[in-house]
Amino acid sequence: MGKLRIGHFVEAGLWLALAAILYIYSFEFEQSIEIYKYGATAWPRTIILLIVIAAVGQLLYHWERGDEATSGTIGAATDDGSHNAAIESGHSSFRWYLSTFTLLIIPFAYMRLPEWAMQAFGFDEGGLPTAKLICAVVLIVLYIFMTRRNHVGGMLALPVFFAALLEDMGFYATAPFFVIGVMLLMGERRPQWMILIGALIMGIMLFLFVSLLYVGLPTGNIHPFYDFGNWVVKLLQ
Amino acid sequence: MQSFSNFLDGTIALFSDPLGILIFLGGVIGGMLFGAIPGVSMLTLAAILLPFTAHLSAEHGIMLFSVIYCTGVYGGAITAILFNIPGAPENAPTAFDGYPMTQKGLAGKAVGAAVMCSALGGTISAVIMMAATAPIADWAISAFGPPEIFALVFFGLTVAASVGAKTLWKGWLSILAGLMIAVVGLDPVGGIERYDFNMPYLLAGIHFIPTILGFFAVSEIFVQAEKKVTGVYKAPKLSVDFPSLAELIAHKFAVIRSIVIGFFCGILPGIGATLAAFMGYNEAVRWSKQRDEFGKGKLEGVISSETANNAATGAAMIPLLALGLPGGALTAMMVGVFQMHDMEPGPLVFLNSPELVWVVFAAMFFANLSILLIGFLETKTIINLLRIPFQFLAPLILLLATVGAYAVRGLVIDVVVMFVAGVVGFFLRRSGYSVAGIVLGLILGKIGEQTFAQAMQMLHFEWSGFIGRPIALSLLIAGILTILGSIYGAFFKRSHTEMPEHQG
Repeated sequence: MGKLRIGHFVEAGLWLALAAILYIYSFEFEQSIEIYKYGATAWPRTIILLIVIAAVGQLLYHWERGDEATSGTIGAATDDGSHNAAIESGHSSFRWYLSTFTLLIIPFAYMRLPEWAMQAFGFDEGGLPTAKLICAVVLIVLYIFMTRRNHVGGMLALPVFFAALLEDMGFYATAPFFVIGVMLLMGERRPQWMILIGALIMGIMLFLFVSLLYVGLPTGNIHPFYDFGNWVVKLLQ
Repeated sequence: MQSFSNFLDGTIALFSDPLGILIFLGGVIGGMLFGAIPGVSMLTLAAILLPFTAHLSAEHGIMLFSVIYCTGVYGGAITAILFNIPGAPENAPTAFDGYPMTQKGLAGKAVGAAVMCSALGGTISAVIMMAATAPIADWAISAFGPPEIFALVFFGLTVAASVGAKTLWKGWLSILAGLMIAVVGLDPVGGIERYDFNMPYLLAGIHFIPTILGFFAVSEIFVQAEKKVTGVYKAPKLSVDFPSLAELIAHKFAVIRSIVIGFFCGILPGIGATLAAFMGYNEAVRWSKQRDEFGKGKLEGVISSETANNAATGAAMIPLLALGLPGGALTAMMVGVFQMHDMEPGPLVFLNSPELVWVVFAAMFFANLSILLIGFLETKTIINLLRIPFQFLAPLILLLATVGAYAVRGLVIDVVVMFVAGVVGFFLRRSGYSVAGIVLGLILGKIGEQTFAQAMQMLHFEWSGFIGRPIALSLLIAGILTILGSIYGAFFKRSHTEMPEHQG
């Protein structure tokens, strides 16, 4: 087995799986181009082949050397401490990965679940906003429950969740909660500071982008978030 | 002499335009601050600003980025010396000797040397850049066709892959992942849809702005969240104390050596300021008669590292402006600025908009000089600003990134792509991959495939056609030699270039 760990197999497996999926999908656009002999697939397939070679090479390298870097100078120059932080914080166990990936699925669940539920139960289109609201509340509760035991996973999932809610709930209603959430996950616990700095950050953002630069941020499309967003925009412009 | 009068014109154009002055000063101070604050780097600032450069003129956008580059490379030296926390990777070797100097009570002298050598290295590099770029661009216009540009991209990617990541293979996988992202969308010859997975969003390709924001601004925050950096330091007393002329002359060989090393690291694609600093420091140790004193507070260590990293900045602009080839993450973002203004960087920029080039050159020259002034006046203020706890900085950066990603096309999906890229970037970084390599692959992938197709059509699909084109051929051979060399290094030779033990 040399110096191989399970993580190394997972790493190589992910690359090879990616290469396989991309190769299979490349048949979807296998068309010849009249003026170009190699067609649309030659370039991506060459890259896929090289990915396979490099993934296998990486596995062999791990087998011989473990986690050692290629050379002292280059290894030191590329090390930003993220690897050590991962080891020291104990965030490399299987349980940690499982909980983190579950957290990361939550935002995508929000993007898909309401539509599926509507279709499955045969409700009409008009009920979609209500389904989305219920789904959001359930997922937020689930998110908070899971984050309490996994702050880093929560930190990774929070921005994606925020982005997923942005389309429906709008920037103006969600951003304050997002700001407070990030502060909490980064270890801030003093409520007066969180409110003060949170208000300051929101103030800067709204003044700079809405009042000054007229950037149209998403207002959301579900009542009452939509009305709230428009009210804020009207107030500021 | 022509260059000198162009430089004067550029200087006048820069300082006669109030908005230009404002952007210049903003870039100088912003670059220095983001360079200095641990957990964010000049790349974070550049990524956040990238979408908004659409509102600036191309001239101002490129100028802002080049100024951030110069001062950002210096900014991290202050925290490296005072707290042993390099603000950015470029300054990591500065801490090896800088921090022991602080412990000995010589912090003022170390910061003074860093200020002076950064300014010196950067300014000399800027002067060589001004003299060399135009002739290289002139030559490139006549000598470079699609086969040469493809060969150059190939060579650039091989160098970037060999040095970018923790291992050779991870370097290649990073580059290849970037190349693969660039494939999504319409193919450059026949307009055939590739990897759209029936989603209209993917038809236009994955936009580089959310990707860059995710990889550089967002993943940086995630890494810090794991490290739980609180950002509160006890600031030691500090007065900036410039080294005397005699001390500088005593280290003249170290300065000259680091300028040469830094310049060559900058001009080669993929190496850039970080490796320049490490190699500058390494060579200083190797050449020294008192090797044992390194790491215990030797002034030469600070001088070598800080001169080299700033010397890389001017050099990195030469391939970008003369050949259109970005060598690192920041210059790749500059390509993004060009593209947002419907321009392609490369030799034609010199023909079509010479005023842009010379304003940028003048700005880089004065940005390096201003390190001297601001380093002297503002270092204490910077130290106080560093007390802003990171948990307050993080939400601000994430919201700025959100607005930036959204503002490009008004699509919420771009925000989702950005944060997903941030998560992916976080996992790739902690496994030793290079996010800079991915972005370089993404930017160069499109250029590479397009020029490859054009070259093949031009050479009637005969690979032997490359033999008749000496420049393209030698670049291809250089690329292949780079690959063979790095494979040899990875497999057959145990590395002997270990860093001194104190590196930790």
